[in-house]
Amino acid sequence: MARAFRRRGRGEHVRYVATLDADERQVVGGLMNQVRDLLEPPEAVGTGDDGFDEIVAGLTLGGDAPDRTEPEEERDPALDRLLPSASRDDEAAAAEFRRLTEGGLRHRKAVALAASVAVLEVEDHVDLDPGQAHQFLTALTDVRLVLGERLGLRDDTDLDTLEALVDGLDADQPLVQLVALYDFTTWLQETLASALLER
Amino acid sequence: MSLAPVTEEVVTPEGDVAPDTPWVTIVWNDPVNLMSYVTFVLQQHFGYERKKAEKLMMQVHTEGRAVVANGPREAMEADTEALHGYGLWATFQKDA
Repeated sequence: MARAFRRRGRGEHVRYVATLDADERQVVGGLMNQVRDLLEPPEAVGTGDDGFDEIVAGLTLGGDAPDRTEPEEERDPALDRLLPSASRDDEAAAAEFRRLTEGGLRHRKAVALAASVAVLEVEDHVDLDPGQAHQFLTALTDVRLVLGERLGLRDDTDLDTLEALVDGLDADQPLVQLVALYDFTTWLQETLASALLER
Repeated sequence: MSLAPVTEEVVTPEGDVAPDTPWVTIVWNDPVNLMSYVTFVLQQHFGYERKKAEKLMMQVHTEGRAVVANGPREAMEADTEALHGYGLWATFQKDA
């Protein structure tokens, strides 16, 4: 059973501490790994992941690792949430910005995701220094952006609509599970962001 | 990070946009990013005080967008890149 992030200590010794059980750590770490694969596709396809993949079916592009030089129309829409256009009125400027920044952004996000997965692999007690906490916070953001895209969230009312919808569905429906994952990662991120804002 | 309150009170979002720095960085509302997180990012990246960060965050939330910085184009591109790193929906443009 998860316990929210809270701040412990102050100054140079401040820590951000939460408790996640083994299942919760595996779920959150698994989501972070999938987003990392989306950003920096592994060379060898075939992750050997278990049934967890089925729960979040569609979170990654099935067996087709996205090629970073894919034509626009084949690009996973979730990538456009992770790496949005930087201009709404100047396509040339947006393309140039993407050319210059996308590789670095993908790599930095992947590094934060990998670091966060690593801290989840240790023990139920998640104990982060400020640098790790910042990485964990952005890693949770990237997970939620991808989940939000898969859930079709477009405006602030969509989640309420979706939650009303899944109320009437069986708990083993993939959509119900996706919404549950989204809600859990939202809660976790909210507690970490709030702890980081206390100063 | 802490500024004198007297200085802070005379600063308004409009007043932040100096006429000789015609490029702006804009953050757009999205249904995923949390209000607390957006506030944290604005404080963390720009060094804004809590009150200013919350005001800009609320503007994003209620008006759909907010100008969060202004300055030379290169600086606005750097801000936009950093905000994308945080997962915010940021763009840069010439201030109309």
